[in-house]
Amino acid sequence: MRRALLSALLVALPLHAASAADAIEVLPDASAAPAEAKQVQIAKMKFNPTDITVKAGTVVTWTNSEALPHNVHFKAGGPNVSKDIEGPMLRANQTFSVRFNQAGTYDYICTPHPFMKAKVTVE
Amino acid sequence: MTHAHGRSTGLPISRATMAGAATALALLLSATALAQPAGGGRIGGQSQPPAGQELPVDDTSVEQAPAPNARRIYVSDPAHFAVLTQLFTIDGDKGKLLGMSDTGFVPNTVVASDGSFFGTASTVWSRLGHGKRTDYIEILDARTHNPIIDIELPKDPRFLVGTYPMMTTLTPDNKSLLFYQFSPSPAVGLVSLTDKKLVKMMDVPDCYHIFPSDNNNFFMHCRDGSMLKVTFKADGSAERKKTQVFHKEDEYLYNTPAYSAKAGRIVWPTYTGKTFQVDVTGNEAKFMPAFEAFSDEEKAQGWAPGGWQVVAYHRESDRVFLLADQRAKWTHKSPSRFVFVFEGKTGKRLNKIDLGHETDSIAVSQDKTPQLYALSSAQKTLFIHDAESGKEVSKVDRLGHSPLVINTSDM
Ligand SMILES: [Cu+2]
Repeated sequence: MRRALLSALLVALPLHAASAADAIEVLPDASAAPAEAKQVQIAKMKFNPTDITVKAGTVVTWTNSEALPHNVHFKAGGPNVSKDIEGPMLRANQTFSVRFNQAGTYDYICTPHPFMKAKVTVE
Repeated sequence: MTHAHGRSTGLPISRATMAGAATALALLLSATALAQPAGGGRIGGQSQPPAGQELPVDDTSVEQAPAPNARRIYVSDPAHFAVLTQLFTIDGDKGKLLGMSDTGFVPNTVVASDGSFFGTASTVWSRLGHGKRTDYIEILDARTHNPIIDIELPKDPRFLVGTYPMMTTLTPDNKSLLFYQFSPSPAVGLVSLTDKKLVKMMDVPDCYHIFPSDNNNFFMHCRDGSMLKVTFKADGSAERKKTQVFHKEDEYLYNTPAYSAKAGRIVWPTYTGKTFQVDVTGNEAKFMPAFEAFSDEEKAQGWAPGGWQVVAYHRESDRVFLLADQRAKWTHKSPSRFVFVFEGKTGKRLNKIDLGHETDSIAVSQDKTPQLYALSSAQKTLFIHDAESGKEVSKVDRLGHSPLVINTSDM
Protein backbone atom coordinates (compact mmCIF):
# COMPACT_ATOMS: atom_id res chain seq x y z
CA MET A 1 0.00 0.00 0.00
CA ARG A 2 2.75 2.39 0.96
CA ARG A 3 4.63 1.53 -2.22
CA ALA A 4 1.59 2.21 -4.39
CA LEU A 5 1.05 5.57 -2.74
CA LEU A 6 4.68 6.53 -3.24
CA SER A 7 4.62 5.83 -6.97
CA ALA A 8 1.37 7.75 -7.32
CA LEU A 9 3.03 10.73 -5.68
CA LEU A 10 6.07 10.44 -7.89
CA VAL A 11 4.06 10.79 -11.05
CA ALA A 12 3.10 14.30 -10.02
CA LEU A 13 6.65 15.33 -9.18
CA PRO A 14 8.86 17.11 -11.70
CA LEU A 15 11.53 15.09 -13.46
CA HIS A 16 14.50 16.37 -11.47
CA ALA A 17 13.03 15.25 -8.13
CA ALA A 18 13.53 11.61 -9.06
CA SER A 19 13.14 8.79 -6.62
CA ALA A 20 16.17 7.89 -4.58
CA ALA A 21 15.75 4.45 -6.07
CA ASP A 22 16.62 5.74 -9.55
CA ALA A 23 20.11 4.77 -10.63
CA ILE A 24 20.79 8.35 -11.74
CA GLU A 25 19.22 11.01 -9.54
CA VAL A 26 19.48 14.53 -10.90
CA LEU A 27 19.76 17.06 -8.06
CA PRO A 28 17.45 20.05 -8.38
CA ASP A 29 20.08 22.78 -8.12
CA ALA A 30 23.70 23.46 -7.32
CA SER A 31 23.03 24.14 -3.65
CA ALA A 32 21.74 20.59 -3.26
CA ALA A 33 25.17 19.17 -3.97
CA PRO A 34 27.10 18.23 -0.85
CA ALA A 35 30.53 19.74 -0.28
CA GLU A 36 32.22 16.40 -0.76
CA ALA A 37 30.74 15.89 -4.26
CA LYS A 38 33.16 14.53 -6.85
CA GLN A 39 34.08 17.24 -9.37
CA VAL A 40 34.33 16.98 -13.19
CA GLN A 41 35.47 20.03 -15.15
CA ILE A 42 34.34 20.79 -18.71
CA ALA A 43 36.70 22.76 -20.93
CA LYS A 44 38.29 22.68 -24.39
CA MET A 45 35.72 20.19 -25.72
CA LYS A 46 36.55 17.66 -23.01
CA PHE A 47 35.28 16.27 -19.74
CA ASN A 48 38.10 16.14 -17.21
CA PRO A 49 38.54 13.52 -15.93
CA THR A 50 36.84 11.49 -18.64
CA ASP A 51 36.69 8.39 -16.47
CA ILE A 52 35.90 8.48 -12.76
CA THR A 53 35.06 5.78 -10.25
CA VAL A 54 32.86 6.54 -7.22
CA LYS A 55 31.02 4.67 -4.46
CA ALA A 56 27.26 4.16 -4.71
CA GLY A 57 25.44 7.17 -3.26
CA THR A 58 28.12 9.66 -4.35
CA VAL A 59 27.15 12.99 -5.94
CA VAL A 60 29.11 14.06 -9.03
CA THR A 61 29.12 17.75 -9.98
CA TRP A 62 30.07 18.95 -13.46
CA THR A 63 31.26 22.55 -13.92
CA ASN A 64 31.59 24.18 -17.31
CA SER A 65 34.60 26.45 -17.10
CA GLU A 66 34.46 27.98 -20.59
CA ALA A 67 32.15 30.23 -22.64
CA LEU A 68 31.09 27.49 -25.04
CA PRO A 69 27.95 25.80 -23.61
CA HIS A 70 28.12 22.08 -22.82
CA ASN A 71 25.90 19.60 -21.02
CA VAL A 72 25.86 16.08 -19.62
CA HIS A 73 23.67 13.64 -21.50
CA PHE A 74 23.06 10.00 -20.51
CA LYS A 75 21.53 8.46 -23.62
CA ALA A 76 18.87 5.81 -23.31
CA GLY A 77 20.20 2.49 -24.56
CA GLY A 78 23.64 2.95 -23.04
CA PRO A 79 24.68 0.57 -20.25
CA ASN A 80 22.43 0.99 -17.19
CA VAL A 81 20.49 3.89 -18.73
CA SER A 82 16.90 2.97 -19.56
CA LYS A 83 15.59 6.51 -19.93
CA ASP A 84 17.23 9.47 -21.67
CA ILE A 85 18.59 12.01 -19.18
CA GLU A 86 19.62 15.18 -20.98
CA GLY A 87 21.08 17.78 -18.65
CA PRO A 88 20.58 21.49 -19.36
CA MET A 89 23.18 23.39 -21.37
CA LEU A 90 25.66 24.90 -18.91
CA ARG A 91 27.10 28.35 -19.52
CA ALA A 92 30.44 29.36 -18.04
CA ASN A 93 30.72 28.45 -14.32
CA GLN A 94 27.31 26.77 -14.17
CA THR A 95 27.07 23.34 -12.58
CA PHE A 96 25.04 20.15 -12.85
CA SER A 97 24.89 17.46 -10.15
CA VAL A 98 23.85 13.85 -10.16
CA ARG A 99 23.71 11.25 -7.34
CA PHE A 100 24.56 7.71 -8.49
CA ASN A 101 22.58 5.19 -6.46
CA GLN A 102 23.44 1.92 -8.13
CA ALA A 103 26.64 0.20 -9.08
CA GLY A 104 27.41 0.06 -12.80
CA THR A 105 28.99 1.99 -15.66
CA TYR A 106 27.29 5.12 -16.95
CA ASP A 107 28.39 6.51 -20.33
CA TYR A 108 27.54 10.09 -21.21
CA ILE A 109 28.12 12.64 -23.95
CA CYS A 110 27.55 16.36 -24.56
CA THR A 111 24.44 16.69 -26.75
CA PRO A 112 25.75 19.16 -29.39
CA HIS A 113 29.29 17.69 -29.22
CA PRO A 114 28.74 13.91 -29.35
CA PHE A 115 32.49 13.39 -29.70
CA MET A 116 32.76 14.56 -26.05
CA LYS A 117 32.46 11.16 -24.41
CA ALA A 118 33.09 10.15 -20.82
CA LYS A 119 31.88 7.76 -18.15
CA VAL A 120 31.22 7.30 -14.45
CA THR A 121 31.83 3.91 -12.87
CA VAL A 122 29.88 3.32 -9.67
CA GLU A 123 31.12 0.61 -7.29
CA MET B 1 7.47 12.54 -63.05
CA THR B 2 3.86 13.07 -63.79
CA HIS B 3 3.81 15.95 -66.19
CA ALA B 4 0.81 15.45 -68.40
CA HIS B 5 1.59 16.75 -71.82
CA GLY B 6 -1.16 17.16 -74.36
CA ARG B 7 -0.15 15.71 -77.69
CA SER B 8 -2.54 18.09 -79.28
CA THR B 9 -3.45 18.11 -82.89
CA GLY B 10 -6.31 20.43 -82.07
CA LEU B 11 -7.05 24.02 -82.78
CA PRO B 12 -4.24 26.50 -82.69
CA ILE B 13 -6.07 28.42 -79.97
CA SER B 14 -5.80 25.54 -77.53
CA ARG B 15 -2.30 24.50 -78.53
CA ALA B 16 -0.90 27.93 -77.84
CA THR B 17 -2.20 28.11 -74.30
CA MET B 18 -1.77 24.54 -73.19
CA ALA B 19 1.78 24.77 -71.86
CA GLY B 20 1.78 21.23 -70.61
CA ALA B 21 -0.21 21.67 -67.41
CA ALA B 22 -2.98 19.16 -66.85
CA THR B 23 -5.22 21.59 -65.01
CA ALA B 24 -4.87 24.22 -67.70
CA LEU B 25 -5.66 21.56 -70.26
CA ALA B 26 -8.85 20.55 -68.48
CA LEU B 27 -9.97 24.14 -68.22
CA LEU B 28 -9.27 24.75 -71.86
CA LEU B 29 -11.18 21.71 -72.98
CA SER B 30 -14.29 22.87 -71.16
CA ALA B 31 -13.81 26.44 -72.36
CA THR B 32 -13.49 25.21 -75.93
CA ALA B 33 -16.63 23.17 -75.57
CA LEU B 34 -18.55 26.12 -74.18
CA ALA B 35 -17.29 28.39 -76.88
CA GLN B 36 -18.43 26.15 -79.72
CA PRO B 37 -20.92 28.17 -81.70
CA ALA B 38 -24.03 26.30 -82.74
CA GLY B 39 -23.55 26.64 -86.46
CA GLY B 40 -19.81 26.95 -86.95
CA GLY B 41 -18.15 30.37 -86.93
CA ARG B 42 -14.95 31.85 -85.65
CA ILE B 43 -13.11 31.76 -82.33
CA GLY B 44 -10.14 34.03 -81.82
CA GLY B 45 -9.92 34.63 -85.53
CA GLN B 46 -9.48 30.91 -86.33
CA SER B 47 -11.73 29.13 -88.76
CA GLN B 48 -13.80 26.23 -87.47
CA PRO B 49 -14.04 23.02 -89.46
CA PRO B 50 -17.22 22.75 -91.48
CA ALA B 51 -20.19 21.19 -89.71
CA GLY B 52 -20.14 17.41 -89.82
CA GLN B 53 -16.34 17.11 -89.91
CA GLU B 54 -14.83 15.60 -86.76
CA LEU B 55 -12.68 17.79 -84.52
CA PRO B 56 -9.18 16.48 -83.84
CA VAL B 57 -9.00 14.93 -80.37
CA ASP B 58 -6.66 16.22 -77.64
CA ASP B 59 -5.04 13.26 -76.02
CA THR B 60 -2.99 13.30 -72.82
CA SER B 61 -0.27 10.99 -71.65
CA VAL B 62 2.37 10.72 -68.94
CA GLU B 63 5.75 11.40 -70.46
CA GLN B 64 9.04 9.75 -69.66
CA ALA B 65 12.37 11.47 -69.41
CA PRO B 66 14.84 10.49 -72.13
CA ALA B 67 17.53 7.96 -71.25
CA PRO B 68 19.98 9.65 -68.88
CA ASN B 69 23.41 10.69 -70.11
CA ALA B 70 26.42 12.38 -68.55
CA ARG B 71 24.60 15.71 -68.85
CA ARG B 72 21.66 14.70 -66.69
CA ILE B 73 21.62 17.10 -63.74
CA TYR B 74 19.76 16.91 -60.44
CA VAL B 75 19.31 20.20 -58.60
CA SER B 76 18.09 19.99 -55.01
CA ASP B 77 16.26 22.89 -53.39
CA PRO B 78 16.40 22.58 -49.58
CA ALA B 79 14.22 25.74 -49.63
CA HIS B 80 15.87 27.44 -46.64
CA PHE B 81 15.17 24.49 -44.31
CA ALA B 82 11.51 24.13 -45.29
CA VAL B 83 9.89 20.77 -44.51
CA LEU B 84 8.71 20.22 -48.07
CA THR B 85 11.39 20.52 -50.73
CA GLN B 86 11.94 19.63 -54.38
CA LEU B 87 14.43 17.95 -56.61
CA PHE B 88 14.63 19.12 -60.23
CA THR B 89 15.72 16.87 -63.09
CA ILE B 90 17.42 18.80 -65.87
CA ASP B 91 18.66 17.94 -69.35
CA GLY B 92 21.98 19.75 -69.71
CA ASP B 93 22.12 19.27 -73.49
CA LYS B 94 18.89 21.11 -74.05
CA GLY B 95 19.00 23.33 -70.99
CA LYS B 96 15.54 22.07 -70.17
CA LEU B 97 13.65 21.05 -67.06
CA LEU B 98 12.57 17.40 -67.40
CA GLY B 99 10.72 16.83 -64.16
CA MET B 100 10.41 17.37 -60.45
CA SER B 101 10.31 15.08 -57.41
CA ASP B 102 8.95 15.95 -53.99
CA THR B 103 11.38 15.57 -51.12
CA GLY B 104 11.30 16.16 -47.36
CA PHE B 105 13.48 17.99 -44.85
CA VAL B 106 17.14 18.66 -45.87
CA PRO B 107 17.21 15.77 -48.34
CA ASN B 108 20.45 14.20 -49.56
CA THR B 109 20.50 13.17 -53.21
CA VAL B 110 22.29 10.17 -54.70
CA VAL B 111 22.61 9.23 -58.39
CA ALA B 112 23.49 5.74 -59.63
CA SER B 113 26.91 5.40 -61.26
CA ASP B 114 25.19 4.32 -64.50
CA GLY B 115 22.51 7.02 -64.22
CA SER B 116 19.69 4.48 -64.15
CA PHE B 117 18.21 5.71 -60.89
CA PHE B 118 18.43 8.52 -58.42
CA GLY B 119 17.09 8.94 -54.94
CA THR B 120 17.09 10.77 -51.67
CA ALA B 121 17.56 10.16 -47.98
CA SER B 122 14.79 12.25 -46.54
CA THR B 123 12.76 13.06 -43.44
CA VAL B 124 9.06 13.79 -42.96
CA TRP B 125 6.77 14.30 -39.95
CA SER B 126 3.18 13.11 -39.55
CA ARG B 127 1.95 16.69 -39.00
CA LEU B 128 4.15 18.45 -41.52
CA GLY B 129 6.57 20.09 -39.06
CA HIS B 130 5.89 18.03 -35.93
CA GLY B 131 4.42 14.71 -34.83
CA LYS B 132 6.01 11.37 -35.60
CA ARG B 133 9.28 11.64 -37.48
CA THR B 134 10.10 9.21 -40.28
CA ASP B 135 13.50 8.95 -41.96
CA TYR B 136 13.51 7.03 -45.21
CA ILE B 137 15.39 6.26 -48.42
CA GLU B 138 13.49 6.71 -51.65
CA ILE B 139 14.87 5.48 -54.97
CA LEU B 140 13.28 6.70 -58.22
CA ASP B 141 13.60 5.44 -61.78
CA ALA B 142 15.52 7.99 -63.87
CA ARG B 143 13.11 7.77 -66.82
CA THR B 144 9.67 7.48 -65.19
CA HIS B 145 10.52 9.23 -61.92
CA ASN B 146 8.38 6.61 -60.21
CA PRO B 147 9.54 5.37 -56.79
CA ILE B 148 11.03 1.89 -57.12
CA ILE B 149 12.42 1.43 -53.58
CA ASP B 150 11.24 2.89 -50.27
CA ILE B 151 13.13 1.96 -47.12
CA GLU B 152 12.21 3.28 -43.69
CA LEU B 153 15.16 3.89 -41.39
CA PRO B 154 14.44 2.87 -37.78
CA LYS B 155 15.18 5.28 -34.89
CA ASP B 156 15.49 8.40 -37.09
CA PRO B 157 19.25 8.24 -37.62
CA ARG B 158 19.68 10.94 -40.28
CA PHE B 159 21.94 13.91 -39.59
CA LEU B 160 19.73 16.94 -40.22
CA VAL B 161 22.12 19.52 -41.60
CA GLY B 162 22.43 21.90 -44.56
CA THR B 163 23.01 19.49 -47.44
CA TYR B 164 26.58 18.23 -47.74
CA PRO B 165 26.67 15.86 -50.73
CA MET B 166 29.22 13.46 -49.25
CA MET B 167 27.12 12.77 -46.13
CA THR B 168 25.04 10.27 -48.15
CA THR B 169 26.47 8.18 -50.95
CA LEU B 170 26.22 4.97 -52.96
CA THR B 171 28.83 2.25 -53.31
CA PRO B 172 30.12 1.98 -56.92
CA ASP B 173 28.00 -1.14 -57.60
CA ASN B 174 24.86 0.87 -56.61
CA LYS B 175 23.83 -1.91 -54.23
CA SER B 176 24.48 -0.16 -50.92
CA LEU B 177 23.71 3.31 -49.64
CA LEU B 178 25.76 4.83 -46.83
CA PHE B 179 24.58 7.77 -44.71
CA TYR B 180 25.99 9.65 -41.74
CA GLN B 181 24.61 9.83 -38.20
CA PHE B 182 25.88 12.63 -35.95
CA SER B 183 23.94 12.14 -32.72
CA PRO B 184 24.02 10.47 -30.23
CA SER B 185 27.32 9.19 -31.57
CA PRO B 186 29.04 9.20 -34.95
CA ALA B 187 28.00 6.28 -37.12
CA VAL B 188 27.50 5.33 -40.75
CA GLY B 189 24.26 3.60 -41.72
CA LEU B 190 24.63 0.74 -44.20
CA VAL B 191 21.48 0.32 -46.29
CA SER B 192 21.11 -2.63 -48.65
CA LEU B 193 19.15 -1.54 -51.72
CA THR B 194 18.89 -5.17 -52.81
CA ASP B 195 17.48 -6.40 -49.48
CA LYS B 196 15.63 -3.09 -49.04
CA LYS B 197 16.60 -2.56 -45.42
CA LEU B 198 18.94 -0.83 -43.02
CA VAL B 199 21.58 -3.48 -42.35
CA LYS B 200 23.45 -1.78 -39.51
CA MET B 201 24.57 1.48 -37.97
CA MET B 202 28.36 1.09 -38.07
CA ASP B 203 30.11 2.90 -35.20
CA VAL B 204 32.91 5.21 -36.27
CA PRO B 205 35.19 7.58 -34.35
CA ASP B 206 34.79 11.36 -34.49
CA CYS B 207 34.91 11.53 -38.30
CA TYR B 208 32.72 13.04 -41.05
CA HIS B 209 31.74 12.54 -44.72
CA ILE B 210 31.76 9.24 -46.61
CA PHE B 211 33.94 8.51 -49.65
CA PRO B 212 33.47 4.92 -50.90
CA SER B 213 36.68 3.70 -52.53
CA ASP B 214 35.06 0.41 -53.55
CA ASN B 215 32.03 -1.67 -52.58
CA ASN B 216 33.46 -2.65 -49.17
CA ASN B 217 35.63 0.32 -48.23
CA PHE B 218 35.06 3.97 -47.52
CA PHE B 219 37.07 6.85 -46.14
CA MET B 220 36.08 9.59 -43.72
CA HIS B 221 37.72 12.80 -42.51
CA CYS B 222 38.34 13.01 -38.76
CA ARG B 223 38.38 15.88 -36.27
CA ASP B 224 42.08 15.36 -35.61
CA GLY B 225 42.93 16.01 -39.29
CA SER B 226 43.43 12.39 -40.32
CA MET B 227 41.41 10.18 -42.65
CA LEU B 228 39.72 7.01 -41.45
CA LYS B 229 39.46 3.88 -43.57
CA VAL B 230 36.46 1.66 -42.84
CA THR B 231 36.36 -1.85 -44.33
CA PHE B 232 32.93 -3.40 -43.97
CA LYS B 233 31.19 -6.67 -44.77
CA ALA B 234 27.66 -7.24 -46.03
CA ASP B 235 26.41 -7.75 -42.45
CA GLY B 236 27.81 -4.36 -41.38
CA SER B 237 30.73 -5.73 -39.35
CA ALA B 238 33.60 -3.34 -39.91
CA GLU B 239 37.27 -2.65 -39.32
CA ARG B 240 38.60 0.88 -38.87
CA LYS B 241 42.04 2.32 -39.40
CA LYS B 242 43.26 5.93 -39.19
CA THR B 243 45.84 7.53 -41.43
CA GLN B 244 48.40 10.19 -40.61
CA VAL B 245 47.20 13.74 -39.88
CA PHE B 246 47.37 15.56 -43.23
CA HIS B 247 46.38 19.13 -42.41
CA LYS B 248 46.87 21.59 -39.56
CA GLU B 249 44.21 22.50 -37.03
CA ASP B 250 43.87 26.05 -38.41
CA GLU B 251 43.45 24.86 -42.03
CA TYR B 252 39.68 24.74 -42.38
CA LEU B 253 38.45 22.32 -45.02
CA TYR B 254 35.12 23.05 -46.73
CA ASN B 255 32.05 20.91 -45.99
CA THR B 256 31.63 20.19 -49.69
CA PRO B 257 34.71 18.48 -51.15
CA ALA B 258 34.59 17.06 -54.68
CA TYR B 259 34.91 13.30 -54.99
CA SER B 260 35.40 11.22 -58.12
CA ALA B 261 34.73 7.61 -57.15
CA LYS B 262 35.99 6.39 -60.54
CA ALA B 263 39.27 8.27 -60.18
CA GLY B 264 39.47 7.63 -56.44
CA ARG B 265 40.20 11.32 -55.97
CA ILE B 266 39.07 13.61 -53.16
CA VAL B 267 39.67 17.32 -53.86
CA TRP B 268 39.40 19.39 -50.73
CA PRO B 269 39.94 23.16 -50.60
CA THR B 270 40.32 25.24 -47.44
CA TYR B 271 38.75 28.65 -46.80
CA THR B 272 41.92 30.29 -48.16
CA GLY B 273 42.18 28.17 -51.31
CA LYS B 274 44.88 25.75 -50.18
CA THR B 275 43.69 22.60 -51.92
CA PHE B 276 44.36 19.14 -50.51
CA GLN B 277 43.96 16.05 -52.67
CA VAL B 278 43.69 12.48 -51.45
CA ASP B 279 44.07 9.52 -53.80
CA VAL B 280 42.14 6.55 -52.41
CA THR B 281 42.66 4.11 -55.27
CA GLY B 282 43.45 0.59 -54.08
CA ASN B 283 41.75 1.46 -50.77
CA GLU B 284 44.85 3.26 -49.53
CA ALA B 285 44.91 6.99 -48.77
CA LYS B 286 47.80 8.67 -50.57
CA PHE B 287 48.17 12.38 -49.85
CA MET B 288 49.11 14.38 -52.92
CA PRO B 289 51.02 17.64 -52.42
CA ALA B 290 48.52 20.39 -51.56
CA PHE B 291 48.47 23.38 -53.94
CA GLU B 292 47.66 27.02 -53.27
CA ALA B 293 44.91 28.31 -55.57
CA PHE B 294 46.01 31.91 -54.96
CA SER B 295 49.34 33.65 -54.69
CA ASP B 296 50.15 35.68 -51.56
CA GLU B 297 49.51 38.83 -53.59
CA GLU B 298 46.07 37.59 -54.65
CA LYS B 299 45.27 36.58 -51.08
CA ALA B 300 46.19 40.11 -49.97
CA GLN B 301 43.67 41.37 -52.56
CA GLY B 302 41.00 39.20 -50.93
CA TRP B 303 40.84 36.31 -53.42
CA ALA B 304 39.44 33.21 -51.72
CA PRO B 305 36.87 30.46 -52.36
CA GLY B 306 33.26 31.09 -51.44
CA GLY B 307 29.84 29.52 -51.88
CA TRP B 308 28.24 26.16 -51.08
CA GLN B 309 29.62 23.56 -53.51
CA VAL B 310 32.84 25.44 -54.21
CA VAL B 311 34.82 22.75 -56.01
CA ALA B 312 34.32 20.37 -58.93
CA TYR B 313 36.65 17.81 -60.47
CA HIS B 314 36.71 16.53 -64.06
CA ARG B 315 38.13 13.02 -64.04
CA GLU B 316 39.27 12.49 -67.61
CA SER B 317 41.11 15.80 -68.00
CA ASP B 318 42.25 15.84 -64.34
CA ARG B 319 40.99 19.40 -63.84
CA VAL B 320 39.96 21.14 -60.63
CA PHE B 321 37.34 23.91 -60.81
CA LEU B 322 37.24 26.28 -57.83
CA LEU B 323 34.50 28.86 -57.19
CA ALA B 324 36.07 32.05 -55.80
CA ASP B 325 35.93 35.82 -55.57
CA GLN B 326 37.40 38.76 -53.69
CA ARG B 327 35.86 38.69 -50.25
CA ALA B 328 36.20 39.53 -46.59
CA LYS B 329 37.39 36.83 -44.18
CA TRP B 330 34.56 34.64 -42.80
CA THR B 331 32.33 35.15 -45.85
CA HIS B 332 33.21 31.69 -47.17
CA LYS B 333 29.54 30.76 -47.69
CA SER B 334 28.69 33.84 -49.74
CA PRO B 335 28.43 33.37 -53.52
CA SER B 336 31.27 34.03 -55.98
CA ARG B 337 31.44 35.22 -59.59
CA PHE B 338 34.53 33.40 -60.85
CA VAL B 339 35.75 29.87 -61.45
CA PHE B 340 39.49 29.16 -61.43
CA VAL B 341 40.63 26.07 -63.31
CA PHE B 342 43.70 24.06 -62.27
CA GLU B 343 45.57 21.03 -63.51
CA GLY B 344 44.90 18.42 -60.80
CA LYS B 345 48.33 16.80 -60.75
CA THR B 346 50.40 19.97 -60.56
CA GLY B 347 48.00 22.63 -59.27
CA LYS B 348 49.01 24.78 -62.26
CA ARG B 349 46.38 27.42 -63.03
CA LEU B 350 44.90 27.01 -66.50
CA ASN B 351 42.01 29.45 -66.68
CA LYS B 352 39.90 32.02 -64.91
CA ILE B 353 36.25 32.07 -65.93
CA ASP B 354 34.05 35.08 -65.28
CA LEU B 355 30.62 33.50 -64.77
CA GLY B 356 28.86 36.85 -64.92
CA HIS B 357 26.53 36.03 -62.05
CA GLU B 358 26.60 35.37 -58.31
CA THR B 359 27.07 31.60 -57.97
CA ASP B 360 26.60 29.39 -54.92
CA SER B 361 27.41 25.94 -56.31
CA ILE B 362 29.33 24.48 -59.22
CA ALA B 363 29.66 21.04 -60.82
CA VAL B 364 30.95 19.64 -64.11
CA SER B 365 29.62 16.88 -66.34
CA GLN B 366 32.06 13.98 -66.84
CA ASP B 367 31.89 13.70 -70.65
CA LYS B 368 34.78 14.57 -73.01
CA THR B 369 33.63 18.15 -73.60
CA PRO B 370 32.30 18.94 -70.13
CA GLN B 371 29.67 21.42 -69.20
CA LEU B 372 30.23 23.64 -66.18
CA TYR B 373 27.12 24.06 -64.06
CA ALA B 374 26.76 27.24 -62.00
CA LEU B 375 23.81 27.44 -59.65
CA SER B 376 22.57 30.76 -58.27
CA SER B 377 20.36 30.35 -55.20
CA ALA B 378 19.21 33.97 -55.23
CA GLN B 379 18.29 33.86 -58.93
CA LYS B 380 16.92 30.29 -58.56
CA THR B 381 18.69 29.56 -61.84
CA LEU B 382 21.12 26.95 -63.13
CA PHE B 383 23.49 28.50 -65.67
CA ILE B 384 25.09 26.04 -68.07
CA HIS B 385 28.53 26.98 -69.39
CA ASP B 386 31.02 25.38 -71.70
CA ALA B 387 33.72 24.29 -69.23
CA GLU B 388 36.58 24.95 -71.68
CA SER B 389 35.71 28.46 -72.85
CA GLY B 390 33.56 29.43 -69.88
CA LYS B 391 30.89 30.70 -72.27
CA GLU B 392 27.30 30.50 -71.03
CA VAL B 393 25.28 28.26 -73.36
CA SER B 394 21.88 28.01 -71.65
CA LYS B 395 20.08 28.35 -68.37
CA VAL B 396 17.14 26.87 -66.48
CA ASP B 397 15.29 29.20 -64.15
CA ARG B 398 12.49 29.05 -61.57
CA LEU B 399 14.17 26.24 -59.61
CA GLY B 400 12.21 26.46 -56.35
CA HIS B 401 12.99 28.74 -53.42
CA SER B 402 16.71 28.44 -52.84
CA PRO B 403 18.31 25.70 -54.95
CA LEU B 404 21.70 24.77 -53.55
CA VAL B 405 22.97 21.34 -54.48
CA ILE B 406 23.95 19.84 -57.86
CA ASN B 407 24.33 16.09 -58.45
CA THR B 408 25.51 14.47 -61.67
CA SER B 409 26.71 10.98 -62.56
CA ASP B 410 30.05 9.89 -64.00
CA MET B 411 28.64 7.22 -66.31
CU1 LIG C 1 29.86 20.28 -25.52
